[in-house]
Amino acid sequence: MIPKIQFVRPKDIAQTVALLAEHGSAARLLAGGTDVVPGIQQESARFSGIEILLDILNVEELQGIKLENDQLVVGAAVSLADFAANPLVREFFPVAAKAASWVGSLQIRNRATLTGNFVNNAPCADTVPPLLVYDAHIAVRNVQGERLVKLEEFLVNPYHTQLKADELVTRIILQLPKPNMRGDFYKLGRRRGVAISRISLALLADISQGRVQQMRIASGAVTPIGKRFRAIEAAAAGKKADAALFKELARQMGREIIEMSGLRWSTPYKLPVVQQSFYQLLESVCSNKEA
Amino acid sequence: MAENKSDQLELKFVLNGKAIHVNAAANLRLVDLLRKDLGLTGTKEGCAVGECGACTVLLNGKAVNSCLVPAGQVQGCEVMTIEGLATDGKLHPLQQSFLDHGAVQCGFCTPGMLLSAYALLQVNASPSVEEIKEALAGNLCRCTGYKQIIDAVRQAAG
Repeated sequence: MIPKIQFVRPKDIAQTVALLAEHGSAARLLAGGTDVVPGIQQESARFSGIEILLDILNVEELQGIKLENDQLVVGAAVSLADFAANPLVREFFPVAAKAASWVGSLQIRNRATLTGNFVNNAPCADTVPPLLVYDAHIAVRNVQGERLVKLEEFLVNPYHTQLKADELVTRIILQLPKPNMRGDFYKLGRRRGVAISRISLALLADISQGRVQQMRIASGAVTPIGKRFRAIEAAAAGKKADAALFKELARQMGREIIEMSGLRWSTPYKLPVVQQSFYQLLESVCSNKEA
Repeated sequence: MAENKSDQLELKFVLNGKAIHVNAAANLRLVDLLRKDLGLTGTKEGCAVGECGACTVLLNGKAVNSCLVPAGQVQGCEVMTIEGLATDGKLHPLQQSFLDHGAVQCGFCTPGMLLSAYALLQVNASPSVEEIKEALAGNLCRCTGYKQIIDAVRQAAG
C-alpha cells in the first residue's frame, strides 16, 4: 500500500507527545485515517516523508463527550458519527451536529474524527463554520504542557494551522450558547451525499421582539479558509429582522467574499448562490421568532 | 499494550466470529490484509480513497471503508466481511432478497452494499426508504440504478 512505515500505538497522551517530540515530522498522528491513508496512498505533498504512524484512535483520554460547567468537552478522538448522534450535541449544538452528519458517507463518519476535519483545515472542512459560530476552543498539548487556543486563531491558511509537528489536539471545548440562540447549517455540494462542499454556511441568531440581539455567521468553501463575518454580524445587531435586512446582509456577504477571494472562475456561479442561500438561511432561522 | 515500533505487526482480532492471530506488514491496509494475507477476496477494492464503498466491512459492528483502515488498527476488534454473512452455507435474508430483486448485476458493489445494509438493520429494524438511502450513500453502484437494491433491503427488513 504505502512505503515502509512503522505503526505504533501510544498508550496515553504523555507517550504520544514524547514520541512526537522524538520523531518530529517523521511521525504522523493517525486517528480515523480517512485523510492520512488516502493522502499517503496518493503521494500527496501534505502526507510525504512519514515514517511512523502514531495510532491514537483508542487513547482513553481522547474519548468521550461531556457537559462540564456550561461547556461541552469533546475528546479529540471522537468520531463524526458519534459526535453527530450525541444527544448533548444535538440538543445544544445542532448546527455542528448537522454539519458533522453530512460529511462524507457513513463509512467515513464512523472513522473520521471531528478533530481531523478541522486540523487539516481544508477550505471546505464542513465542521469549521459551525465550530466558529460556537466560538470553539481547543486544547493543544506537547511535552511542555497544554495551551488553550481559540479555533478561529488556530486556523491560519488553507491546510495550515498553528499545530506544530510535536503537538496533539486533545479536546474541543464549546461554550453552551444562550438558550434563545437558534441556528442552522447549509451545505451545497455536487450531490446530496458523499460530496465536498462547494458552499457551506453556519448561522446562529438570537432574535427577540423582532430584532436581532446577536448573530453569528460563518462560511466554508467560499474563502481560503472557513471564517466568521464579524462586520456583517455587527451590521445586523439591533436591526429589525426582516427581508430588507436579510437582503442587505446577503449583499454585504457577497462584497466581502469578493474582497477576500477576488474574482475566480467560480465567482459567476458561487456569488449569487452564496447570497441567495444566505438570504434563505436568514429567513428560515430568523422568522417566526417574535418574542 | 503498545506494540514496540516495528514494521511488522502481530495482530489478534476476531474475524467473522473466530479469534485469529496473524503477523502482517505494518504498511498494509485492512483491505490488503483481508484480500492478500487472508485470502478473503469477497471484499473488493474500487477506488482506494474511500469514495466508492466497495471495500466496506464491519469493524466493531460499524460499516467502514477497509481501504482506509491501517491493518494495525484492527487489533482487538471484531471484523465482519461478506464471507461472514451467510451462516453454515445458508444465505442471510438480505442476500436472498438481493437475488430475488435482481439487485446483483456485475456484483462488484454487492458485498459492500450487503454489509452496509446489514449494519443498518442491526440498529434500525424497519428503516424508511430515506434511511436506507442514507445508509447506502457511501456505496456506489454503476449497474442497477439502486432501485432493486433499495427494494431488496426494504423487503429483507420486513
